Amino acid sequence: MPENKFDVKIIGEFLNLGRSLAEAPMKVSVPHEVKIGSTQFDVAYKEDKMRLLHFKPLTSKQIKTPLLISYAIVNRYHIFDIDPKKSWIRNLLEQGFDLYLIDWGTPSKIDKFLGFNEYVNGYMDNCMDFICDESDVDKVSIQGYCTGGTLATVYSSLHPERVKNLIATAPVIDGWKDTTVMSNIAKYFDVDKLVDTVGNMPPEFIYYCFSILKPFEQGVEKYLKFFKNIDDEKFVDMFLKIEKWVDETPPIPGELFRQWIKGIYQDNLLIQNKMSVGGRLVSLENLNMPIFTQVAVGDHLVSPECSMPLHYAVSSTDKTLKLYPTGHVGMIASSFSQKTVLPELGKWLKERS
Amino acid sequence: MNNYMENDSSIIDYYKKTAMFWSDMIAMMSSKPTTLTSVGPLRTLSSNLKKITAELTEANKEIVEFNNFLIEYYKQLADTWSTAQKEVMSKASELPQNEEGTEAYKRVWIDIFENNFTGLFDSRKFSENYNGLISKELELLKRWNAVTDVMLKSANLPTKQEIDEVYEEIHNLKNRIFKLELDKKKAEKNARK
Repeated sequence: MPENKFDVKIIGEFLNLGRSLAEAPMKVSVPHEVKIGSTQFDVAYKEDKMRLLHFKPLTSKQIKTPLLISYAIVNRYHIFDIDPKKSWIRNLLEQGFDLYLIDWGTPSKIDKFLGFNEYVNGYMDNCMDFICDESDVDKVSIQGYCTGGTLATVYSSLHPERVKNLIATAPVIDGWKDTTVMSNIAKYFDVDKLVDTVGNMPPEFIYYCFSILKPFEQGVEKYLKFFKNIDDEKFVDMFLKIEKWVDETPPIPGELFRQWIKGIYQDNLLIQNKMSVGGRLVSLENLNMPIFTQVAVGDHLVSPECSMPLHYAVSSTDKTLKLYPTGHVGMIASSFSQKTVLPELGKWLKERS
Repeated sequence: MNNYMENDSSIIDYYKKTAMFWSDMIAMMSSKPTTLTSVGPLRTLSSNLKKITAELTEANKEIVEFNNFLIEYYKQLADTWSTAQKEVMSKASELPQNEEGTEAYKRVWIDIFENNFTGLFDSRKFSENYNGLISKELELLKRWNAVTDVMLKSANLPTKQEIDEVYEEIHNLKNRIFKLELDKKKAEKNARK
């Protein structure tokens, strides 16, 4: 009869995992009770559900041109301030920038008719008005992240006279070149039926899209790693913060989602200069201000091929394209972004502010 | 007379016609007594019974189609799982049988499953079927909304469509106010100059 050989270390691993699973509730906080965002701010301006946050300075002297961050329409802005040591916001404040951020809020059914026009020519333009009045300047720098990068790009094309510098961080620009599974779903999606029947794009659907992105790495390996490191306080803290952030995604206004899917992914109008917002044509050739395009090579939400065309489509002669060896979230909330991405951005922006 | 039992769609038509026939008949037969007894808003409910039956029978047809998409969805997932598992098994024999081997097996398993499933989610056949599935689900939701609207009407409450009209009206009003404010701002700026 063959002898069964068990590796003692393997058995030990399984026992440890079992112990971690049993002890986890006593050792870590309930994920939804975890606090994210530590940098202090004032709500400087409010319109419908949108809030303009003004962060309190961390330096005695500040750079004259304010910087407005246009956050994405998926998830909440907290990823920019997820942890004091990995905070995009704190880093820019420490570099002396006067920082504003648009929190799009949580749209409800009454907001289903809001589209690009209301977001760009309404909310964003009103925020720019407010900042210009408050800071006594004519122009403001804008940074847009992910889908917020697209909104910032559209705004800069329609109102170039108001934008001092444009920073597009992983922007969604050329939908046909996007190689992610998200774009594969979007290409054949009957968006009219969804919006006409449901109204706003429900968060549940966004969760589904997240679940098909690296399902085994994110759905299995990630949690095994979490339980394995249950005694590592820093690791657990960051893990729960990110999980909470991923879990908090608001609905997307129906009309905006319709225009998004059709205009960017299905008909690819933006890169072809054929997109119309508020009756005006959006031409990327209007982008004549200094432009910094930040792209993450390992981005599985917005592929580099989708973001990079912005750099080549604009008329600006002062343009920079940077490719970083990281992912979509890693580019803005990681030790790498603190050490590399933010210092480079700060230097670029200071020279032009 | 049509032979309703010839194929699947005829059977559905048969049940649909039978349901419609009897709901019409019952509505007609009961119209006089119902009118006599329901003198108020409840009268609407009885007259709307036919609409509800129509929506429910149509929904049956869509449930069948939804089910077909759902079967294909799980078939794609199951096929991909089995292909990935076979690939893992073929690699497993090459891995050492110790602690390092366990870690390597986990890595190989995750990598192979990730590649296979990403390949599936990236394919046209997945996207088309998945979007077909969602589309059918939305059609079912539309039917449900229509049934709910009938109930709301009979309870003298605003329907989804009526609420949507209010939302749209508010939206348009906001846009008009925004334009007026913009014009005012421009006029003030010009006056300052």
